[in-house]
Amino acid sequence: MNMDFAVWFIFLSPLLASPIALVAGMKKIRLAGIISTASIAISFILSGYVFLTIGSTTINQSYSWFANLSYGVYVDHLALVMVLMVSFVSLMIHLFATYYMKEDPKKHVYFAETALFTSAMLGVVLSSNLVIFFLFWEIVGLCSYLLIGFWYFKPNAASAAKKAFIVTRVGDMSLIIGLAIIYASLSATASDPLSIPYLIQNAPQVAAIMGSGKLALATILILGGAVGKSAQFPLHVWIPDAMEGPTTVSALIHAATMVTAGVYLIARIYPLFTASAYYSLYAVAFVGAFTAIYAGTLAWVMNDIKRVLAYSTISQIGYMMAALGIIGIVGSAGIGPAGVSLAIYQLVVHAFFKALLFLSAGAILIALMDLRDLREMGGLWRRMPWTVTLLFIGAITLSGIPPAAGFFSKGAIVDASWAYYVSSGYNLANALPWVFLTFGEFFTAFYTFRMFSMVALGKPRSYLAEHSRDPPKYVLIPLMALAVLALSFGLFQTSFYRYLDASYAAFTEPLMEEILVYGLIAVGVLLGLFVGTANRWKKLDSTSNRAYRVLKKKYYLDKLFTNIIAVRGILPLSSAFSGFEDRYNSANETFGQDVTRMGSALRKLQTGIIENYFIVIVLVAALVFLVVEIIGGAI
Amino acid sequence: MTFDINQLAFYYPMLVLGAAGFLILALGIFRLKSRIYSTVAMGAFVVSFLLILMEWYGILPFSVSAGTQFNGFGFYFALLFLVSSGFITYPALRNIAARSEIFYALLLFVTTGMLVAAFSYNLITLFIAFEAVSIGTYIIAGFHKTKKTLESAIKYFFTGTVATAFIIFGLSYFYLSTGTFSLTGALKISSTPDMLIALAFLVIGFGFKLAIFPMHQWAIDTYDGTENSVSSFLSTGSKLVAFMIMLKVFVVGFSGLDSYVYVFFAIIAVATMTYANVAALSQNNLKKLLAYSSVAQAGYLILVFAVTGYAPGTTAAEYAIAAGMLYSLVYIFMKGGAFLTMNIFKSDRISVDDISGLAKRSPGVALSFSIILLSLAGIPLTGGFLAKFFLFLSLVQGGLWWLAVVAILNSAISVFYYFRVMMFMYWRQGTGEDKFDLSIQNRLPVYFSAIVVVVLFFIFGLFFSILPLVGGV
Repeated sequence: MNMDFAVWFIFLSPLLASPIALVAGMKKIRLAGIISTASIAISFILSGYVFLTIGSTTINQSYSWFANLSYGVYVDHLALVMVLMVSFVSLMIHLFATYYMKEDPKKHVYFAETALFTSAMLGVVLSSNLVIFFLFWEIVGLCSYLLIGFWYFKPNAASAAKKAFIVTRVGDMSLIIGLAIIYASLSATASDPLSIPYLIQNAPQVAAIMGSGKLALATILILGGAVGKSAQFPLHVWIPDAMEGPTTVSALIHAATMVTAGVYLIARIYPLFTASAYYSLYAVAFVGAFTAIYAGTLAWVMNDIKRVLAYSTISQIGYMMAALGIIGIVGSAGIGPAGVSLAIYQLVVHAFFKALLFLSAGAILIALMDLRDLREMGGLWRRMPWTVTLLFIGAITLSGIPPAAGFFSKGAIVDASWAYYVSSGYNLANALPWVFLTFGEFFTAFYTFRMFSMVALGKPRSYLAEHSRDPPKYVLIPLMALAVLALSFGLFQTSFYRYLDASYAAFTEPLMEEILVYGLIAVGVLLGLFVGTANRWKKLDSTSNRAYRVLKKKYYLDKLFTNIIAVRGILPLSSAFSGFEDRYNSANETFGQDVTRMGSALRKLQTGIIENYFIVIVLVAALVFLVVEIIGGAI
Repeated sequence: MTFDINQLAFYYPMLVLGAAGFLILALGIFRLKSRIYSTVAMGAFVVSFLLILMEWYGILPFSVSAGTQFNGFGFYFALLFLVSSGFITYPALRNIAARSEIFYALLLFVTTGMLVAAFSYNLITLFIAFEAVSIGTYIIAGFHKTKKTLESAIKYFFTGTVATAFIIFGLSYFYLSTGTFSLTGALKISSTPDMLIALAFLVIGFGFKLAIFPMHQWAIDTYDGTENSVSSFLSTGSKLVAFMIMLKVFVVGFSGLDSYVYVFFAIIAVATMTYANVAALSQNNLKKLLAYSSVAQAGYLILVFAVTGYAPGTTAAEYAIAAGMLYSLVYIFMKGGAFLTMNIFKSDRISVDDISGLAKRSPGVALSFSIILLSLAGIPLTGGFLAKFFLFLSLVQGGLWWLAVVAILNSAISVFYYFRVMMFMYWRQGTGEDKFDLSIQNRLPVYFSAIVVVVLFFIFGLFFSILPLVGGV
């Protein structure tokens, strides 16, 4: 088999399977799950095949599509790692979904949509041109809308889907403006201005042609797109609501197919960020670091198991963004590695444990009849030992406790932020990322173990929790595979870094800094366990507490968006426009009626009497000759 | 003009058509079934098509004699003419009941004339080829002798003879000022009054066939009166011959004229588009509506001459000609398909209201007809959009912004009456009686044209493959 051929089928396989699954599912509903799962298994096998054969080369096949835009696939180690991760995690989620969705009457629609979702994400990863990238990116957005609103008969789900779509649209707008700036500035000099290989191999020239300031503007607008898709501050508001969809969909969105797209976008065109003026990398670093701590605080007070996980995703993606920004700044100063490896390692590890957490949460929710309130759970470890053990493995990986992989992935990023502080000559403002990320670790440990202890420890606090049982063991096999990876992936840390970035060298950190970080994590875990189990805390009425209210209202950001911007700003504007529109329409209507009347008048010229036609012709011909005579006479 | 027997090979495509025409006439003695004649005619078109393709790929452009040239431009249009004739061969079976051998023989002779026109660069040869097309189509238009068809054929014939008079007059003025009938050989072209008069006469003469304002009035009655497949042919093949001849005459023959001559074409284009589109708005006869739209489309084609006149020899001019050529290709299927769609009605008098409820009766036909109408309106995902896009692009490139704006406004007006038809198809309930004859031979051409129109959109590179052919004009 030809490797180039295999690459195309990595994303074509689920893309083709999606309509087939839908149609076959109409006839026999069981077939849908089998077809779409098999298609993703094919993607995974093909990615593995390419991984084994690619060596140190890259695959770049692009064909002219329209004017100076091309389409095609571009595979380097970065893309390859991503397709392996996406296809594997998506495969595990699909396997679990055959159990999770087995009662749903519209199962075939679900599987057709998830196959399309996965293929769109694979397409995003493999595209060789930013326009095709954007097309797949939009399909990802569309699928997220369809899947979040999959249970559209629930009003919450319908409005959550709409919110996700609209909020990410804000980011997409920014992204397409950024792409347009690059295209407009390069179309005169480059033969294929939006080709990814061209942009990343010629980043310094691109910066020279565009001017680094203009390039920074473009990259910051592109960052806006990534912020929307990857749910970073301030466009993260859609993700907690998106929990209304099926839990397997949340797992797909959070682990494999959606929120990682934004990080991948920045990693994909990373040389453009490093070549542009310094502030674009600063924007990436600070957005990421701030989001990491911001979302961490919000997860403290959430009582919905899926929402806690949602905020943890926002916060963990923040680490990836921060890693991208910081490594770029530090690397250009000549310290440590200059590449995307830290962020991508965190991305892959996060995909494993977040899929694991969501799937085990899904197994718990099935046992509890979709009861998502943590306050109604408790004592589940004894009743569902297998599931909750898997949840525990996810929790320690998320909190960064050794030997789980999260310890290595996030540790390296915190180290990098310390190195950044050191390299800037102990400038206090530049300590902020380190502070944010370190306390982010503390908060993560805290809310994770608060959630875990509320789920697993103590006594059951509801009838459902008392009578919950493990699902059949074979459905937990995909979760176990993920758990093994979450625990053991730390072994491959350095080789992973080297695979993406051959020149990788580890940071060396002062012992005190390391001890401080790990101490904070340990404190966070203990505090979380305590807050989650202690009855005294539960009885305490904290709703009167001002700080608690602020957190519960998510820093009033949703209020700002809906009450201030939408209701006070956009609605009046919209009614003003619609008033204008009405008047404009009625003016048009009148004009249209006049034109139609004119048409009737003209139609009267068409008498059907040929003599009249000749009269018209002769008159016009005479007129023409008169004009010709005048023009001719003037020469 | 010497004739070398070795070069006879290049005339095979035409000879095949002519021979097949006589064969059909001879077979007519035996009173065979119409289907046999149509198959012979179709076979001749296919053979001729293949021969032209073989010649195109086999030989380099060179001049056989002073008046004839075989080049990519000619081959392209020759193929288009064969396609437009072949397109109506089978649908015509329904319309032409008696003496169909004469119809098919004439169709073949007319197509022969078209091919001759495609390769000739001498005004006399062009004129004779043009007349061969005209005279054949006069008779074709009169087939199926009802009072209405005869009336429309007579109108067509009378106006056609007047046009011939104009053309001959124009030719003599051309000869007076240049001393030759050869388009390529005319060297001392300049903006003398004689030359301008020749231009005016020729525009009026050829404009008849293309049905541009104010020489369009026969077209409305004739398209409405003749049988559907004949109106389809008159409004595609025979119109494109006129367009191609005008391209040759005005781009090659009159290449030395001053650039202000473009104003003349711009005025004709604007008047044709606007008049036809506005008149179509309140039209309730569906065939007349399509006839007006056909006139409007001719207005778009005339825009090509505005660009070539305003910016001769530039890339914009090349783009304009290539856009015109692409338009011609799409036009065969969208306009021909639209007229052939009229075959699904049982009655001859078709009002817009009659199409109500078609979407319920046959969703496939309704969808296909909608695609054809969208293409005529120039909406994306259809070939009509691509053709209009490149045409307007060439206007903008050439600096004729105002003309592009007028053309786009006109497209917007035309959307109104196309959508009106679609609205009737989808939203109005039909009366109880069954007005449609949805047999498979009536549906197939509609499906076929809709598919081709969509496929043409997705061949993005087509325009750029046509572009190099422009050099052969």
